[in-house]
Amino acid sequence: MGKVLLVCRLAVKDIRYRPAQALLLLLAIATGAATLALGLALHGTTDDPYARTRAATKGPDVVAVVFPDGSQAPGPTTSVGPGSQGAPGISGSADPRELVRLEHAPGVAAYSGPFPVTWALIRMGRKTASAEVEGRDAARTLVDRPKLLQGGWVRPGGVVVEASFASALGLRIGDRLSLGGSSYDVTGIAITAAIPDYPDVCSHLGCFLAGAISAYDPGLIWATEPDAARIARSGTSTPLAYFLNLKLSDPDGAGAFADHYDASASPTAPYLYSWQRIRDGDAQVIAKVQQVLFIGSWLLALLAIASVVVLVGGRMAEQTRRVGLLKAVGGTPGLVAVVLIFEHALIGLCAAGMGLLAGWLTAPLLDGPGAGLLGAPNSPSLGAATFGSVVALALGVAMVATFLPAVRAARQSTVAALEDTGRAPRRRVLVIKFSAHLTAPLLLGIRLAVRRPRRLLLGVFSIAVTASTLVAVLIGYASEGSFLGPRQLQAITIIVVMLVILAAVNMVFIAWTTALDTRHPAALARALGASPDQITAGLSAAQLLPALAGALLGIPGGIAFFYAARNGAGPAMVLPVPWLAVVVAGTVLAVAVLTAIPARIGARRLPGEMLQAEAT
Amino acid sequence: MQQEVVLALLAKEPSHGYQLRARLQQALGPAGDAMNAGQIYVTLSRLERSGLVTCEQAAGLPDRPDRKVYALTAAGQQRVSAWVADVSWPGPGLAEFHLKLIAAAVARLADPLAIIDAQRRELLRRLRDAQRAAIAEPAHSDAAPLLEGIVLRLQADLRWLEACERNWTGREDR
Amino acid sequence: MTGERRGRVLRARGLRKEYGRGAGLVRAVDGVDLDVTAGEMLAVMGPSGCGKSTLLHLLGGLDRATAGEIWLAGQRTDRLSERELARLRCEAVGFVFQAFHLMDELTAAENVELPALLAGRSPRVARRQAADLLERVGLADRATFLPAALSGGQRQRVAIARALANAPAVVLADEPTGNLDSAATLEVLRLFDSLHAVGQTLIVVTHDSRIAATADRMISMRDGAFIDETRLTGGTSGNLADLAGLGG
Repeated sequence: MGKVLLVCRLAVKDIRYRPAQALLLLLAIATGAATLALGLALHGTTDDPYARTRAATKGPDVVAVVFPDGSQAPGPTTSVGPGSQGAPGISGSADPRELVRLEHAPGVAAYSGPFPVTWALIRMGRKTASAEVEGRDAARTLVDRPKLLQGGWVRPGGVVVEASFASALGLRIGDRLSLGGSSYDVTGIAITAAIPDYPDVCSHLGCFLAGAISAYDPGLIWATEPDAARIARSGTSTPLAYFLNLKLSDPDGAGAFADHYDASASPTAPYLYSWQRIRDGDAQVIAKVQQVLFIGSWLLALLAIASVVVLVGGRMAEQTRRVGLLKAVGGTPGLVAVVLIFEHALIGLCAAGMGLLAGWLTAPLLDGPGAGLLGAPNSPSLGAATFGSVVALALGVAMVATFLPAVRAARQSTVAALEDTGRAPRRRVLVIKFSAHLTAPLLLGIRLAVRRPRRLLLGVFSIAVTASTLVAVLIGYASEGSFLGPRQLQAITIIVVMLVILAAVNMVFIAWTTALDTRHPAALARALGASPDQITAGLSAAQLLPALAGALLGIPGGIAFFYAARNGAGPAMVLPVPWLAVVVAGTVLAVAVLTAIPARIGARRLPGEMLQAEAT
Repeated sequence: MQQEVVLALLAKEPSHGYQLRARLQQALGPAGDAMNAGQIYVTLSRLERSGLVTCEQAAGLPDRPDRKVYALTAAGQQRVSAWVADVSWPGPGLAEFHLKLIAAAVARLADPLAIIDAQRRELLRRLRDAQRAAIAEPAHSDAAPLLEGIVLRLQADLRWLEACERNWTGREDR
Repeated sequence: MTGERRGRVLRARGLRKEYGRGAGLVRAVDGVDLDVTAGEMLAVMGPSGCGKSTLLHLLGGLDRATAGEIWLAGQRTDRLSERELARLRCEAVGFVFQAFHLMDELTAAENVELPALLAGRSPRVARRQAADLLERVGLADRATFLPAALSGGQRQRVAIARALANAPAVVLADEPTGNLDSAATLEVLRLFDSLHAVGQTLIVVTHDSRIAATADRMISMRDGAFIDETRLTGGTSGNLADLAGLGG
């Protein structure tokens, strides 16, 4: 019992002796843990809510839609690029008769419609949004029965808004909005399984841009058929199209049915989408978010490990001496190893706790099923599996970084440990020869940087990973443009922000550890005549060179990430060259700013105290 | 026993032989344990024969050595003063210098700190000479170790003088 | 007055260095006045903790005085900015430390050329200078050795060569023989003697009386203040034979 207490006391004392380092270690592991928690918590949240909603609203098996003459609606594929924007609404309205023949096609069990649909601009106060307006006099149709959550169904002058759209715009019963120039009341809020959540409704009837209206992410509104027609006649709205909801006797064959009757060759023929496609469109959105989170959490975990290794490595010399002292006063090698590991395990556990908490708090931001699907916006659950994985990760990271040094330190001879002044810096002949030709700051910087090559590589790695992600995101944005749904963008933004924060923290660690490590040579250089500015510049250069290398590596890295994330499908890659240059320059600049402070602190201290061999 | 030491012990006032012996014993501590009891009387009679010391019988007592009272003559006084001011270094004999300091303090012959300082300067000069000789000597000559030895001894003696100085400074404060 | 000042390389008035506050106030250097003429070798002696190393750091610009004035090579140094101080250290001062403080990963030649490189000289010139200096200290054949392969005395000689790299006005040595044995001390003393002979100004802080004895002037220090100054003049009353124990 006494030994256990002793181990605890020693570990806690060491943490309190160097609280800032312990805190940084904590933050590094916690960020990685938080991302993992986020990713795991959001896993597998889509199928159920959709299925429930579909059953409750008698969702259609197949949706068929005809557009006005001369229009071109690309449809719910994910490979629409900015170059293929369709522009409907040339003249005239669509012909619903094309849909009628489908009503009695073999395999059709029931149908509802054809309903008129138009895309219009919705205005409330100063807010503008695109809306898809369906004309539907009665809600209780055989197929696709929107389920009212609040209020009543449409009436002349009164519209019903889809739930996720309503919550996005902050609409309530009784609000007034302007559709296509005329004013309407909100009489009810409903959900439907016919389309995915706002704002990712693209997979329903078509994706195109028409003037100010974006059919990429319109909200859904139901109105009476005459109202819909009136709205369609407004100058800013598209002309009326028509769609038909079909229920098949064999729902699983919806895909085959849609393929069979799809007549997308002719511009006036209907387009057909199966319910699986709609569901997948919905799930695809979330799946993409999850994919982003998954990759992101791996990246963050990698960076977290890198920073932990740097930190722990930086403490190694002092730890070795501590080990020597403990052994000299009678501690067994086992005890010593336990003390080291326990201390870091303690930090790892706290980090796991923080990470889980952070993940639990931020998950609702990314949100699982939105308001539109049945199954209210519940916060994703932190199940036992998530809990266990995060704790395992945090502990694992802390232990991996300590295990080897702990074992080595415990096995080392006591005398060697007591006198250990850390690994001597390796001699790099070429670097020394080369740096002699440079100005003083660069001379110092390069020589200081190569004293610890592993740390140098970690810095490069850290920056390269972050830069690659930024580059991949930029390439993705340039290539696929606005087809990245808002929620995806949100997820990507959060990941990128976390990556940048973690990389920044990493660079500060490395700069700080370098400044600590080079106190003595820096003091000596000052005694030999280098000014503090030169030392600061040198210490900064020691960080900037790996930063530049990492940023440049980020370009091919980002391209590789982009291809890997896409699994080959999609349009050609577009390289936004000016933005890439911004990334490289911005990275170097950011690192310069971040490392300026540790570098300055490293250079400011008066050399006298560092160089004193004894007090006198 | 160095003659000058005994002379110096008489500088303050005339004393009996046994008193001189006691004072010596106190000054030398354990280093004086091996001293022969009769040695001091031998030295005293030599000094008497040289005319540096006079001897008087205490009145009304039988003729015994420890009843005699000894005192310095004028010549003896001169000899003592010369001895106190002398800075030659007789070699490894620490006791003589040590006793010189004590006698000088007790008899108020001179300030012990001044004696130490003067001796220190002399030793530094000798050290300088010896060190310069050592530097001038080629590294592997036969004489090099000897010169090194001289230097090291002088260095040791100087350190001892520093210790004496610290001691005597403290004594004055008391 | 001008004649005096021309010969004076270093001057300090009322130097004071304090640490801490109130009850914890420590006066490491307490009101020191100093004049050093060109070509002079000055030894500062004293017990541990008397402030001699601190004094040296103040004189060489490695530390800032709490009060007082310092003139070095004609310039007032206590008011200089860090950058100007650095330039001064580069051009006018050479440091020798007790712990040598050589860079472990550089060879002897690379260590010696470092101050020249920092001062902006071309690598070729710096390298040639380093070779000359190593020759001067008698280590021309060890130019490519790492410090770990050199003995203590050799390391200190490399450090002295490094201190001379930019032809400083004054060489400041802090316990240069503190970590050396007797034979190595002799090597360093030989070197100091040869430097002195060509007119290099030297200020040595030490508690080794051997160095002090060979200096032109010796100052004793205690509790941060000078208490004694000695100039050894005149011959001795003994000769080496006596000291060696020969003769009567």
